[in-house]
Amino acid sequence: MDRRSFIKLTAVSGTTAALASCGNPENQLVRFVPDEDIVPGQATWKPGVCPLCASGCGLTVRVMDADKDVVRDGQAGVVTIYAAKKLEGSTDHPVNHGGLCTRGQASIQVTYHPDRITQPLKRSGARGEAKYDPISWDDAVTELVGRLDALVSAGNQRALALLGQARTGHRALVVQQFLQRFGAPAPVRWEIFGDDLLRRANALSFGRAQLPTFDLANARFALSFGADFLGTWNSPVSQSHGYGAMRQGRAGIRGAFVQVEARMSQTGANADRWVPVRPGTDGVLALGLAHLLMAAKVGAPDAAGRAGALIEGWSAGLPAYTPDAVEKLTGVAAAKVERLAREMAEQRPGLAMIGGPALAHTNGLFSALAVNALNALLGSVDQPGGLSFTPQFNVAAAAKAAGPAPDAGASLEELAAGILAGGAGAPQVLMIDGANPVFAAPKAWRVRDALENVPYIVSFGSFLDETSALADLILPDHSFLESWAENVPESGSAVAVATVAPPAMAPLHQTRATVDVLLDVGRRLQTPLNLPWESMEALLGITFATLPPSTEGGDAWSEAQEKGGWWGALPAALVAAPSGAASASTVAPASGFAPAAFVEPQFDGDPAQYPMHLLPYASTTFYDGSAAHLPWLQEMPDPLTSAMWSSWVEVNPTTATKLGIRDGDLVDVTSAHGTLQSTAVLTPGIAPDIVAMPMGQGHTQFTRYATGRGENPASLLAPLTEATTGALAWAATRVKIARAGDPDGRLVLFAGGKNEEGRHGPGEEHR
Amino acid sequence: MPRWGMAADLDRCTGCGACVTACHAENNISTVGPYQAMRGRAKHWIRVERYWEGEFPDVRLKFRPVMCQQCGNAPCEPVCPTYASQHTEDGLNAQVYNRCIGTRYCANACPYTVRFFDFFNPEWDKPLHLQLNPDVSLREVGVMEKCTFCVQRIKAATIQAKADETELKDGDIKPACVQSCPAQALVFGDLNDPESAVSRLSESPRGSKLLEDLGTHPAVTYLSRQTQV
Repeated sequence: MDRRSFIKLTAVSGTTAALASCGNPENQLVRFVPDEDIVPGQATWKPGVCPLCASGCGLTVRVMDADKDVVRDGQAGVVTIYAAKKLEGSTDHPVNHGGLCTRGQASIQVTYHPDRITQPLKRSGARGEAKYDPISWDDAVTELVGRLDALVSAGNQRALALLGQARTGHRALVVQQFLQRFGAPAPVRWEIFGDDLLRRANALSFGRAQLPTFDLANARFALSFGADFLGTWNSPVSQSHGYGAMRQGRAGIRGAFVQVEARMSQTGANADRWVPVRPGTDGVLALGLAHLLMAAKVGAPDAAGRAGALIEGWSAGLPAYTPDAVEKLTGVAAAKVERLAREMAEQRPGLAMIGGPALAHTNGLFSALAVNALNALLGSVDQPGGLSFTPQFNVAAAAKAAGPAPDAGASLEELAAGILAGGAGAPQVLMIDGANPVFAAPKAWRVRDALENVPYIVSFGSFLDETSALADLILPDHSFLESWAENVPESGSAVAVATVAPPAMAPLHQTRATVDVLLDVGRRLQTPLNLPWESMEALLGITFATLPPSTEGGDAWSEAQEKGGWWGALPAALVAAPSGAASASTVAPASGFAPAAFVEPQFDGDPAQYPMHLLPYASTTFYDGSAAHLPWLQEMPDPLTSAMWSSWVEVNPTTATKLGIRDGDLVDVTSAHGTLQSTAVLTPGIAPDIVAMPMGQGHTQFTRYATGRGENPASLLAPLTEATTGALAWAATRVKIARAGDPDGRLVLFAGGKNEEGRHGPGEEHR
Repeated sequence: MPRWGMAADLDRCTGCGACVTACHAENNISTVGPYQAMRGRAKHWIRVERYWEGEFPDVRLKFRPVMCQQCGNAPCEPVCPTYASQHTEDGLNAQVYNRCIGTRYCANACPYTVRFFDFFNPEWDKPLHLQLNPDVSLREVGVMEKCTFCVQRIKAATIQAKADETELKDGDIKPACVQSCPAQALVFGDLNDPESAVSRLSESPRGSKLLEDLGTHPAVTYLSRQTQV
């Protein structure tokens, strides 16, 4: 092309573009008058509560003006609204101390997600086809009320079931009271990485059915069995804050940290020493340490009180757990066990923690009890530099909610089996509140089949995922920034906390707060449930008013709305049972509990056919997959691999060489329950007989960003459980891997080099 | 006149990546999607580098958050034909988007690989755009972008202090990465103030600069991770 024709062409196309934008109504900017007085360019800061995990971190939300696209009387245009712009950790919150994790930072995208459900929907296609028609809120609530009234008429109130996440606080109270007054069973709570097993162990050892709070800031030695406490486990921001102080917060003292696990986690990467251990033998190592500590008279057997009494052979000094015996069972050299015990004896105060994969075995309860006993022996319980239990604000007592204590609720496995068995007891109406078991539960539980057999499913979720796509009716909740948000943190704080925040912005869409919908439904039933609260706001006002104000003559409720919660010393009447009055170690042992001893963990799959262990782990970015729909998290490089938008299988280089697998090759991973193909990432931080995959990808239905991306390791899982608690043993599946082909480009990495010599930054092409 | 600097304590850093997402949220950094990310076009003004050492079972891993080092003697600046990459009085390597003509010389010159080129206009699937920070300009196609030490926060705090007729105190300004860091591994402040936290940390015997042999005089000091036994 010569210069003249080039200019001609650009002139023509430029003019065309300009004309097109004038004539195209989409590009016309009609400004409507805002509903509220808005000062442009001026930021205000409001309290908030992070919704993405149970930790309950306090937020400070930056709110400013933004132009929202609207259609008014058929005319498209924009209107200025107040919109949340940025989430920060609340500086004085006792859980997060101003910090906020990567998922918390990204949670703002939940509110503005383009695939959020914007109004009530009624199923129009077949089950699971995800075809829906809009329906008005009035009609939707009437339909749900009709379904529930029909159950009452038939005298079949127990055929209402609710499937949700394990959370505590005001929302949980309303859900529980709703079900109880209706006559339905307690909610079914399920999360793949749920910690019910540890709660049970802590109830047995310490009389507290609760996750522990660690005083890392004052610890000299921290030993973690598999707990990803700086990334995904328990209260990670609180624990990271303590960790920073443990390392560099005290002049002249640097706390040491050893991580025991078979695959180096993001947390394990920070350890002074990383100790790989055979799957399911963490408890053995803990008792081996206890054996040596007792022999060295660091603690007498009876010093461990009830926690020690739960372990077979404890009072005799655990003669079965000598360093040599421990080496045989765990694969950790006897000399290393002795060194670890010596360090623990010398560097006090110290603490031990256990979580994640270490508990996800058929003998998980034993491992948890063993670590509890080790802590008790070290004198770490309720001591500075040890572990304690955050006093719990008794929301039910503060709300004067009458009625018996709720029963434990069926497990997901029992719920699915009950539905598939059919009969009079099978649920007719199922409410889904935030759980996505169709994605993460083992196939053998047949959760999807079961849900397809439920006559009527209601979901309160904001997104269509594998589970909510089976719903007949969707009543979308507000986002956490658009409604009253609250959380009563179970752990992560030395003092009692109740986090609360008023709505930071007006709802973007035609959504309604789920608690308010439940209260509304309760009022509109033919036999009203008489729930004593008008709304979430009213309930919060009642409970927070019972708390002591910070100033004489003050008002705790107003103060809490201002600063985003209440924290401090709880009056005895408001502490949730079991009372914190008695020291945890003096509570009488539970009757009828046979002392625990090591039992070989069970694994699914014949070792000859399936020689490797599969470790599906909680992803730093997606956790269990529930955050995979947020584009910032999809494009955030994974801390250990720098992978974005991808799935991968971590393989030890020696194993890979034997199997002819090179870095980036496609591999088939096969268990007795399924097979998948993903990309191999060779990494030295994994035992030769383990393959690990992050959870989170492999969604078949979860917004434009996550659907059809990567692979889901849960599809390989065996339905093995821990016998006493019924908790899923998600690290107990055996697999085999085989090379399937050359790299096909599906693994996207941000950085190339794996070590400092070969360092180079982000992909070179951007230069 | 302050000289802005940062200290990153690698003994505190846990590699969690909170800083990475916080930076996206604050600075209107668009995501590019899997296809463009595969072609090396993803933009992360701050990244967490990780380095493996040893073989199983004696393995160690080190994290290092890397952002623009705001060099005192910056290789990116003299190569820019339009003064888009230019040094400010308070020591920042400023990038003036309106001057940038996209030669990418600066990215070639930068030894830290912290400059990112916009290969296309940024896109946000509506209504994700409602989150955009009005204090930070959007970068259009053909422009180089990078960490600014959250210059919008520096300016806002400075102007506010002037309006209030008060002095800026150490810790008044926190870039988004510093503010989010759960383990408080990142500290920001004025290196010309000998009493500031960042000045004191920069003097630490654990401190070193990234690729300091190149003579770039970075404003970021890394405090090495300690080893125990």
